[in-house]
Amino acid sequence: MISRRKFIARTLGNVAGWLIAGARPSLGALYPHFFFSQLKYRGGEWDPNPTYAGAVVEELELRTSIDALRERRVIEVSDPTLFYTPFLYMVGRYEFEPFTDTERRILKRFLTFGGFLLAEDTVGAGGFGFDRTFRREIAQILPEYPLERLPPDHSVYQSFYLVGSIAGRLKTTPYLEGITINNWTPVIYSQNDLSGAWSKDKYGKWVHECVPGGDLQRKVAFKIGINIIVYSLTADYKTDLIHHPFIKRRQNL
Amino acid sequence: MNGFALTLSPVFPIGVIGLLLSLGLAAVGALYRLNREKLGKKRALILAMLRMAAVVLILVCALNPARAVRQEQTVLPAVAVLVDMSATMGQPVADGKATRLDQARALLSGGSSPLLPALKERFRVDVYGLADAARPLAADELAGLTAGGNKADVGQALTALGGRHAAALLLSDGNVGWRNAPAQAVPVITVPMGNTAAYRDILIKAIKAPSLAFRGREAVIDVTIKSYGYAGLTLPVILKDSGKLLTAKDVRLDASPAEVTTSLTFIPDSVGRKNITVTVPRQAGENLTGNNAVDFSIKIIRDKTRILMVSGTPSVNYRFMRRAFKSDPSIDLLSFVILRTPSDILNVPTHEQSLIPFPVETLFTKELAGFDLVIFDNFNYSLYLRPEYLENLQQFVKEGGGFAVIGGPNLFNEGRDGMTPIAELLPARLGAEKFYRRDSPVGVRLSPSGAWHPIMQIRDEFKKDNPEQKRFWQEMPPLDGINLMDAKRSAAVLIESADGIPWPILTVSPHGNGRVLLLATDYAWKWYMGMVAAERGGQPYLRLFHRMVRWLAKDPDLDPVQITLPETGVVAGREVDVRIALQGEDPAGVPETAIGASVFDPAGVKIASKLKPLPEAGAYQVGFPTKTEGIYRLMVETPAGPQEASLIVAGPQERLDAAPDHDILKKIADATGGKYTAPGDGLLRAIEEYTRKAEERFVEEKRVPLWANPVVMAAILGFLSLEWFLRRRWGLS
Repeated sequence: MISRRKFIARTLGNVAGWLIAGARPSLGALYPHFFFSQLKYRGGEWDPNPTYAGAVVEELELRTSIDALRERRVIEVSDPTLFYTPFLYMVGRYEFEPFTDTERRILKRFLTFGGFLLAEDTVGAGGFGFDRTFRREIAQILPEYPLERLPPDHSVYQSFYLVGSIAGRLKTTPYLEGITINNWTPVIYSQNDLSGAWSKDKYGKWVHECVPGGDLQRKVAFKIGINIIVYSLTADYKTDLIHHPFIKRRQNL
Repeated sequence: MNGFALTLSPVFPIGVIGLLLSLGLAAVGALYRLNREKLGKKRALILAMLRMAAVVLILVCALNPARAVRQEQTVLPAVAVLVDMSATMGQPVADGKATRLDQARALLSGGSSPLLPALKERFRVDVYGLADAARPLAADELAGLTAGGNKADVGQALTALGGRHAAALLLSDGNVGWRNAPAQAVPVITVPMGNTAAYRDILIKAIKAPSLAFRGREAVIDVTIKSYGYAGLTLPVILKDSGKLLTAKDVRLDASPAEVTTSLTFIPDSVGRKNITVTVPRQAGENLTGNNAVDFSIKIIRDKTRILMVSGTPSVNYRFMRRAFKSDPSIDLLSFVILRTPSDILNVPTHEQSLIPFPVETLFTKELAGFDLVIFDNFNYSLYLRPEYLENLQQFVKEGGGFAVIGGPNLFNEGRDGMTPIAELLPARLGAEKFYRRDSPVGVRLSPSGAWHPIMQIRDEFKKDNPEQKRFWQEMPPLDGINLMDAKRSAAVLIESADGIPWPILTVSPHGNGRVLLLATDYAWKWYMGMVAAERGGQPYLRLFHRMVRWLAKDPDLDPVQITLPETGVVAGREVDVRIALQGEDPAGVPETAIGASVFDPAGVKIASKLKPLPEAGAYQVGFPTKTEGIYRLMVETPAGPQEASLIVAGPQERLDAAPDHDILKKIADATGGKYTAPGDGLLRAIEEYTRKAEERFVEEKRVPLWANPVVMAAILGFLSLEWFLRRRWGLS
């Protein structure tokens, strides 16, 4: 039983704490372990699938133990809370304006020291539009590390589901690409429009058809989405020796 | 040749004296001639004779005449008698009554024809005791002499004697040091004491053991056993750790004397300093039993700190902790992340998902002891761990394991399981309010205890309550979620929330022999990214987690109390001082009465408890005597927890090989040109033979100056005075 004096002291303390803490950069209350922070950039189309988050987070909560928020958060590179976003998502269709040198430095620091970025080209046309600009920009942000095709035994394909095929709304590239720094891949790049496959309208209907595979292909897109999210929170956990015999056995089935 | 002679030793050259004599005579002649005219021939002659007598006497004195007396003298040769009085001379000769020292004493001064008086009649005799070094013995000291001390080096003893003696007589059992004959060596006549044939003993002669070994890896101890009089015996060599049997191995003694080396192996199962004892059982008829055991210590360290981490959910916090642990090559991490709970629905067959079973039974029964540290990270353990596993975990900590709980909403089954064994372990308890808060971010600050705690010394400049350290934590980004808990009285809060109520964020406490830690937030990763955002790098976060692990795994460098024992081996009988220094507490905040130290002797009796403050803040000293050999235990109690250390004190007989070694006496005799001879009638003759050459005769000459006496002086003065008187009488001026 708490005493009246203790209750009043703690209540006043908490109110004071709330007022004081508001002055420092923080995402604020109620942000759980996972939420999408979508990067808003200049030029191009930064938000081609605005309703992607709800369905994939619902699926994430249904299948995994992850505590997640269904609403996405929109953020710019210059936002001081960028470093406290667990999952940065960047998506687009068209070419966009280059980042400034300051923005590149911030992104480099963010990605080199622990941040995570999932980037998506929703058109799936290599060498054009968003794909061309993103490859150019990421090469300038992390020039020492190439954007490469992730090998089939990469943790992202095993972090929750054992994923054999790669697809989103489209099925243009049968792999994910990424930049790996010391066994950790802070940048994953997809050209299959995953968020297109996840998007639902306000009535709960899918916004886009998945081509050519239909709903089976959409399931794959959700599995990949969940795997990428789990990877962003567990890194190379699935490469630990204890997992090897189980994964090998299941892959050989 | 005796006799006497007159000698002259002129003080001036003889020519000068002759010249002076001539001048004197000339002056006297001139004086005579002058006075003859005034006084007449007779009176002038008297005055001249008186003056001449004075001059002659003065000049005779200048010649320095002396009487030399010669007398022939004979000098007795000097003999040094060296009586070995080291510890082995206390051993019985054969029948178990008279010792080797008694045997030497009887030879020198006992029986019908004692050697020492006979020697003194013929020689100048100096008697020395030999233990550690040579020491002169007074005449009455020999009777009360007792055996003790280390064996002395005979070469060094001869050097110390400086070659002043014609010969030396060494009475010893041969347990002496000897390398080469020194330059000042005199012939040494060695007389063996003790009986080699009757001596029976088994001893541990040598131990070859590493000073450092790794936990979980085989350590090899080589033991050399030496025996006398036990040919054909098979006996076990036993290895124990503080009384607990580690291993044993049989060895066979084929001959007598025999020397056998055997290797004993064991696998250390815990870290720290181990007090190892090697023993061989006592056998009937052994002369010595104090050399059947040897104590020594080995520091056991972990090659890797093995961590079992169970995370209740994938989270950024898990990823950053994993990154911290993986960045330290001395950490071996086994982690399990609960990817789905029983309430989560799996939509694919098993072979399409990567989830593995959580081997909870194996981990929390058989395997638990193999870890140094268990971490529950936002883990709702009540869903997975049966009560007996939690009790195992509690026992694991009591026995010295580390346990850390990282906060989050899942902890304690979302706050409903407050009374489980885990809650008992933790340094904080559930508060009366809601269990977890994620409604407003909170900053953190360093607590007064945190300023001194070894975990928090994450930068070198943070030592000892540095203001920079406080600022460092104040500038950390706020935490989005914390568990609201109250620290227990026995715990130390290192970091607390700074905004509003000071909720404990990082809390530690000892529990049994182990240590526990609570980090009551699942947002500590923001400390890392906050440093990165501020362009200050992530190293402080990594070091904080590395130091948490080291402290929980009881790395001695992070102990709250540093105990400094004597570095070299201590032999029973010495007074020992132990230094105790606090490093996890602010010395100003710890009253002297809060610190206690108790020293227990090998029998478990408390022998000291008085702490003496040293000039350095937080440093103390406790002194105690070591009357017997064995393991002395030191228990230190401080507000930061207890600390224990032990000191091995060796006995005087440890590793003592007391067998007579008469061969070395023969070597000494050969090397110095002396003789090895048994006690008997021939001994005195042998000594005389070696001293005869050194007998010295010489002629002593005494010289007595003849002028240096008052009569001569009075005669000179008398002649001059009489001359003066007569001159005045006869009217001369």
